[in-house]
Amino acid sequence: MAPIDAAAVKRRPRPLSPHLEIYRLSITMVMSIVHRITGFGLYVGVLLLAWFLIAASTDAAAFGVFAAFIQSIVGQLVLFGFTWALFHHMLGGIRHFVWDAGYGLDAPMRDRLAWGTLIGSVALTLIVWIVGYAVS
Amino acid sequence: MSSKPGGLRTPLTRVRFLGSAQKGTGEAWMVQVTGIANVLLGLIFVLLMLRLVHMDYNGVRATLGHPIPAILLLAFILSGIVHMEIGMRSIIVDYVSGPARQWALIANVLVSGLLGLACMYATLRISFI
Repeated sequence: MAPIDAAAVKRRPRPLSPHLEIYRLSITMVMSIVHRITGFGLYVGVLLLAWFLIAASTDAAAFGVFAAFIQSIVGQLVLFGFTWALFHHMLGGIRHFVWDAGYGLDAPMRDRLAWGTLIGSVALTLIVWIVGYAVS
Repeated sequence: MSSKPGGLRTPLTRVRFLGSAQKGTGEAWMVQVTGIANVLLGLIFVLLMLRLVHMDYNGVRATLGHPIPAILLLAFILSGIVHMEIGMRSIIVDYVSGPARQWALIANVLVSGLLGLACMYATLRISFI
C-alpha cells in the first residue's frame, strides 16, 4: 500500500456543514442574533455609565463635560441606543426564562415571543424617552 | 473534588452533572441568577436615571448619595458586571480562535473587572465624599 501524502490530505478542502447564509431568516433567529449584539453593545455602554459615575463623583466641571456630551445630538443618539439595547436584552432574557421554564416553545408562540421582544423593546424605549423629555 | 476515596459517595455521584469541563452548570446558573437580578435592578436603574434627567450636579449627587439608590446601583453594577463578563466570554469562545482567544479572554476579565471597580468606587465616592 502506498504511503499517504499527509500534505495532500491537508490541502484537500474539508466538507463544511451549512452555515447561517443558507437559511431563510426567521424572526426567532434574528432576535437571537440581536440579543447577542445588544449584549455586546451594553458591555461597551457600561463605559458611558462609568463616565457618568466618575464625573459625578469628581466635581461640577467634570460633570459638566459629561452633561454637555449626553445632551448633544450624538450623546442623545447613543443614550437612545443604550436604552433600546437594555430593554431588548432584558425582554430577550425574560423570553429565555419562559423557555427555560418549559413554556412557549411551540412554533406560533415562539414567533409571538420573538415579535413581542422587538415590539416591547421599542415601546418601552419610547415610553421612557417620552417620560424623560416630559419631566426635563 | 473534596470527597475522599472510600467515602460514602459513589463515584457516580461525584461526576454526575459535572460534564466534561468538570464545572457543571455553574456558569449557566450564574447567568440566570444575575439575569433575574438585572431585570429587577435594571428597571430600578431606568427609574433612577429618569429622576436624574432634570437635575443639576448637586441634585444628582444628593440623589445618588442617598443609601437606598446607592445600594441598588452597587447591586446592579455587581450583577451586571458578572453577567457581561460571562456573556462576552461566550462571544469570544464562539468567534475568536488561535492565540488571540487567550488574550481576548484575559482582556475580557480585566476590562469588565476594571469597569466594575470604577463604577463601584465612583458610586461609593459620591456617597462618602
